[in-house]
Amino acid sequence: MNAPTPPRWAQLLLHCFHPKNTLEEVEGDLDELYVYWYQRAGKFHAILRYIISVISILPPFVRKRHVNETYDQPFILNLDMFKNYVKIAWRNIVRQKAYSLLNISGLSVGMACSILILLWVQNELSYDRFNADADRLFRMTCDAGGFKAAVTPVGMAHGLQQQMPQIEASVRISKQAVSLFEAGEKKFEEKNVFFADSNFLQVFSYPLLKGDVTTALKNPNALLITQAIAEKYFGKEDAIGKIIRRNNNENFTVAGVLANAPSNSHLQFDFLIPLSNLARTDRDLITDTWGNFNFYTYFKLAKNVDVSDAGLTKMTKRIGEIYKAHGQIMKVDFVLQPLTAIHLHSDLQIDLPGHGNIQYVNIFFVVAIFILVVACINFMNLATARSERRAKEVGLRKVVGAGRYQLIFQFLGESLVFSFISLFIAILMVVVLLPVFKMLTEKELAIHVLDNKLWMSLIGIAVLTGLISGSYPALFLSGFAPVKVLKGKLRVAGANLVFRNGLVVAQFVVAIVLLVGTAVVYKQLNFIKSTNLGFDKSNLLYVHMTGEMWGKQQALKQSLTQNPLTENFSIISDLPTTLTTGTVDLEWAGQTKRNEVIVPSIDVDENFTSVFKTHLLAGRSFSRSFSSDSSNFVINEKAMQTMGMNLQNAVGQNITFGEQKGMIVGVVKDFHFKSLQYAVEPLILRLNKWGGKVIVRTQAGKNEATIAALEKINQELNSVYPLSYGFLDKDLDNLYRSEEQMGNIFNLFAGLAIFISCLGLYGLSAFMAEQRKKEIGVRKVLGATVTGVVALLSQDFLKLILIAIALASPISWYAMNRWLSDFAYQTSIDWWVFVLAGMLAASIALLTVSFQSIKAALMNPVKSLGAE
Amino acid sequence: MRRTYLGEFEELVLLMIAILDGEAYGVTVSQEIEEHTGRIVTFGAIHNTLIRLEEKGFVKSELGGATAERGGRRKRLFKVTALGSRALTDIQELRNKLWKVMPENALNISEL
Repeated sequence: MNAPTPPRWAQLLLHCFHPKNTLEEVEGDLDELYVYWYQRAGKFHAILRYIISVISILPPFVRKRHVNETYDQPFILNLDMFKNYVKIAWRNIVRQKAYSLLNISGLSVGMACSILILLWVQNELSYDRFNADADRLFRMTCDAGGFKAAVTPVGMAHGLQQQMPQIEASVRISKQAVSLFEAGEKKFEEKNVFFADSNFLQVFSYPLLKGDVTTALKNPNALLITQAIAEKYFGKEDAIGKIIRRNNNENFTVAGVLANAPSNSHLQFDFLIPLSNLARTDRDLITDTWGNFNFYTYFKLAKNVDVSDAGLTKMTKRIGEIYKAHGQIMKVDFVLQPLTAIHLHSDLQIDLPGHGNIQYVNIFFVVAIFILVVACINFMNLATARSERRAKEVGLRKVVGAGRYQLIFQFLGESLVFSFISLFIAILMVVVLLPVFKMLTEKELAIHVLDNKLWMSLIGIAVLTGLISGSYPALFLSGFAPVKVLKGKLRVAGANLVFRNGLVVAQFVVAIVLLVGTAVVYKQLNFIKSTNLGFDKSNLLYVHMTGEMWGKQQALKQSLTQNPLTENFSIISDLPTTLTTGTVDLEWAGQTKRNEVIVPSIDVDENFTSVFKTHLLAGRSFSRSFSSDSSNFVINEKAMQTMGMNLQNAVGQNITFGEQKGMIVGVVKDFHFKSLQYAVEPLILRLNKWGGKVIVRTQAGKNEATIAALEKINQELNSVYPLSYGFLDKDLDNLYRSEEQMGNIFNLFAGLAIFISCLGLYGLSAFMAEQRKKEIGVRKVLGATVTGVVALLSQDFLKLILIAIALASPISWYAMNRWLSDFAYQTSIDWWVFVLAGMLAASIALLTVSFQSIKAALMNPVKSLGAE
Repeated sequence: MRRTYLGEFEELVLLMIAILDGEAYGVTVSQEIEEHTGRIVTFGAIHNTLIRLEEKGFVKSELGGATAERGGRRKRLFKVTALGSRALTDIQELRNKLWKVMPENALNISEL
């Protein structure tokens, strides 16, 4: 049976006049009710009620249902939408493999670089901070009229401590005392040997693994060794109580085993000997001198002492007063240097080796950030360039109700996905590259897996990278007007193009600055290495005179003279690379005020000028035929000028140097006896009376034979000691190791910056070629040549590179000038350096672009034009 | 809190919606009212009241799924909101209170 239906005309009436938004439900309801009435009261009654009901819900009786204008806004992080975002992001990554590859590889290389640099920076900044009282530990250094040194007189520590309650404890440490150690069969020459006060372990936080901390450095006949040394000499046996012989004349008991000095400690010791042992023989310690600057002095300040700059200045002033009150006349300022500043902020002479440079830390930190920025720029550029492809998606999303914030969130989320994938790859790269990087920087760097701070900062980097690189595309894409986009009217706006070009320029500015930096660093290194030092540094072999060598000097000299390989020799006290002594005690006739410049001296023998090939300007060198030469002097030009003499009158003048009175017999042309970071200082040469090093000028190509000959002589005269020798030119090169390292690292990062920039450029050029496909087709049809098209496509990029060169040149010129100002002798920054760097960048960029432009130019126009 | 005024018929419809518990729509509400009160009301009155109640926030509605029985047309199903149930209980409480203070024989008309 068919259900009864209400009259058609009433239904039509309802359909036409009832408000549209409630029509469906009302029609349904009335149909149902009609059936209900029909069954209960019959057809007539049902029709009547139906009609009345219809009229009651026609205007003007019906109440209109108001459409709720404000839709419920779902939460922006709605799970369903989130799923959709992830899905779309993943599809985008997978669908555009080349694009994703460019992005991810750029980002991950950039991140890996930054992580490596930041590891290095963190290591540099961590120096000496492991000391529990690091903030209260200070080293006293001195500044004598611009001659800044890390050493101070040995007597001052206790003297000052008595008069200054701020000083809670003081520790004195000797300079490195290179010694020969011997235990059983094992015999080695050791460099990292120090004498230290007995409270060394109480003040510094170097853990003692075996032995008693309180008595460790009390017994003058006992010493401490590190774990590595214990293994080296005693293997697996317990080293405590074992006998170890120093310099073949003194036996020590091992009183304790120290943990190896942390790699981020400025003090790198292998052996610690009580200072009380040295006090038996050392004149400085016996006289408790306030005048000879030969020891490192550390203070631990009391807890409540004001260590602000003002507080420290007050203290150093007080130190100066005490120093003067002690009867010292030398004009010297003392400085309290925070322990944590020693590694990076020291610019001192006579310091422990291996210091870093805060300038490099800053430079590299900036470089790390720049490389990351370059990688971010890639991402931004590619994303905005390809924005047209996603414009439709954006339009559609907006049409179905996406808000701008949702879109921003979506695109930022996508870039975060990219950056976290890149972070993962970057960490893998870092793990693989860390050993190489360690070799390059010569540092103990490690990723500690459990280090929360490290992970936090890594995630921080990834989030930051994601946000920065996603910010522009997100803001740009989310701003599309849906109607325009969906109608296909979107044309890449001019402003967008300018922005993108600006980013490319920025990338290449960074790359070119790094290139110029590399070039200048290498140029300076080359300059230093090839600078005429005033003596001939090639083929100079030196031998440390150890043990009994000086005692047997007559026999030594005889054997050396007899062998034609070694006959060209000289015995001098200090090498030009290790000169650390000097005094202000210099008096001369006609002197108006006391000398305030520290004058270093080298003790040389009669052969010095001939072996070193220095140039005598006046007078003569030392000679055996003048017996008075033992108290005479040869000076350098600078010393002559300091004393106000000239070449005509200098020779024959009497001067007093230290405690020695004598006559100037010769003036030697200035030669560099220190690193070229320092200008030539006055120098006084004395006749050698106590040995030092034998320097042999070997004949070219006969180094091996000469070493063998020296080995034989050593065997005869000094069999206890192994022969220890070196080449002066190598040592000189080593002086500039940190600069060389910097050059290498710079080189590496400049290369990487260019690589990353080119990745971006490659993507961008691919996009441009794609976009101009039709134009190229038309041009080719009209007769354009392949070279013409390539040139057309390349010239846009070339313009950008030229702008980058113009911007980068002054920046890099300024930066490198700052760096060079640290050197007393600087290379010039020539114009060709900029041209070279610019040309290199431009040619690499053009090469990158040419892949795509040639491909586009070779394309058959039928294909590109036919597909309309 | 400002009380929204609930008219007598509105209260009746609201009570019906509550009683129907999820099954309330134009048809059921009008049938129930007829059955329980014997009042014959036009469909328009119910329709308008439902809309008004929803505007006042006492009920909420959503379109149910399509059904075969009414030509595939969807029903608009109504539910009492928290505000609506509060309004009903308030009224009930007020009445209870008033009934309690009512003198015992006040309504005994025959004794007048």
